[in-house]
Amino acid sequence: MKPMTRGLQWSLFLRSLTLQGSWNHQRMQNLGLLWTVLPWLRRNRRDMNRDRVFCRRYYGFFNTNPYLANFLFGGLIRLETDQDAGLEVLPGVIGTFRDSVGRALASLGDQLFWLGLRPTLIMTICLVGLLGHISSVLVVIGIFAVGQLLLRWMALGKGYDLGMDIADLLFDPRWHLWIARMKRGGMVLTGMVGGLYLAQVAEAGPVADRSLLWIGTALGMGLPVVLRKRLPGELLIVVALALALLLTFAI
Amino acid sequence: MALWVPVALVSDPTWSSLLILGLLAGVLALDDTALAQTWFGQPLPAAVLTGYLCGDPLTGLAVGLPLQLVLAGNLPIGQTFTGDSTSATIAAVAGAILSGKHLPPVLVGNSAGTWQLLGWVILGAGLLSLLGHLFIQGERRANGIWMLEGLVSLRDGRLGRIEQLHIRCLLTTFLRGFSSGILFVLLILKVWIPLFTHLPPILQTALGTLPLLLPGLGVGTMIDRYGLKSSWPWVSAGMICTFLVAHYVV
Repeated sequence: MKPMTRGLQWSLFLRSLTLQGSWNHQRMQNLGLLWTVLPWLRRNRRDMNRDRVFCRRYYGFFNTNPYLANFLFGGLIRLETDQDAGLEVLPGVIGTFRDSVGRALASLGDQLFWLGLRPTLIMTICLVGLLGHISSVLVVIGIFAVGQLLLRWMALGKGYDLGMDIADLLFDPRWHLWIARMKRGGMVLTGMVGGLYLAQVAEAGPVADRSLLWIGTALGMGLPVVLRKRLPGELLIVVALALALLLTFAI
Repeated sequence: MALWVPVALVSDPTWSSLLILGLLAGVLALDDTALAQTWFGQPLPAAVLTGYLCGDPLTGLAVGLPLQLVLAGNLPIGQTFTGDSTSATIAAVAGAILSGKHLPPVLVGNSAGTWQLLGWVILGAGLLSLLGHLFIQGERRANGIWMLEGLVSLRDGRLGRIEQLHIRCLLTTFLRGFSSGILFVLLILKVWIPLFTHLPPILQTALGTLPLLLPGLGVGTMIDRYGLKSSWPWVSAGMICTFLVAHYVV
């Protein structure tokens, strides 16, 4: 196996950070994907026809999770390198690999990052904020930022080393263990934020009628669970204003 | 609450201040989706950063915390709504500080104060985020048009065009954040905050309760996201323990 040069790895890594930079409704991350893998093509220019086929291969509909995408990019570069070196890569395999692994990583990333890590981290910074540690909010986010950059860097190398075998990596049960842990952590932290919020409501200063505030708090916490509409937060602010007006009239 | 506050880079509503805030909004708009996604563009970190930049991180916390909690359920899966909470948060915090107001945080360390203006600023941020959604959709439509332009490169093999198109999209995101940031700060500063004194008293009173209700809605949204059935033992455990410690021990 021809190793990936450090220059190419840096180039791919930096470009992969902008995968969603040209996100569009028609083909989602396709332009970002092609832009990411172009450094490989620039280092391996062949005849125009083959280059055009290369570009076409990466310009179709594409969507994956940006934090895990580098596993796939590394694997794709490995397949392209193997094919370029004359090793047997069956026709259509690269496209199928891109689509299937991309989809699997998208699904895994949704669970791990968007439903697992993000709520956990958000509840952590809210808890830190509720406790009044302002600069710690930035420290927590900074740790996440560095961690995810390291993950992306390592994923690129790992993906290149594994090539097609990334599929085995996706079957690793530890992914689901981490997803479950993240979600549970997020649930506990949500409860902690809720508990601290309730304790502080109990001691809130200038409130005209405390019992009505408790009713408002209970309605506020219960409303999303009862409605199950998953309204955007911006609309929830308007709902909260309506609730606040009702409470004011009741006073 | 001991705070380290650096010298404020932005202290008066001048054009240079707006430029700095626009740059922050542009960079964080890039971070939101297009570049790296470090989550510094989330409402609370963005508000704290803006607060530090303007010399009043406490106002940043006051605005950012309820916003962060109520927007916690806005996850980029299974929904088409995006909203521009980053620019809206920066504008809300900067607009309040630049107009000479100090907003006390609700529920943080027994802070007390009148929260009506805070409620009004948070409402403004929510509405601006809704407005920003339209700009983001416009940007994505433009990305779609430019992406189709790239199909020409699949015929003539000109790779430079692909490079230019992607960079154009990134620049557009930055400019969208930059211009939204400046526009929103001006709207908060010149229209929204001056409007507050003309509000009917009943609405002002309701606005005082608004920041108190938002965290509850945020927690409720997250419980709904996790699913009440599967999350209640974990959420209840965290809630009861923290409530008891905070209320009776601390």
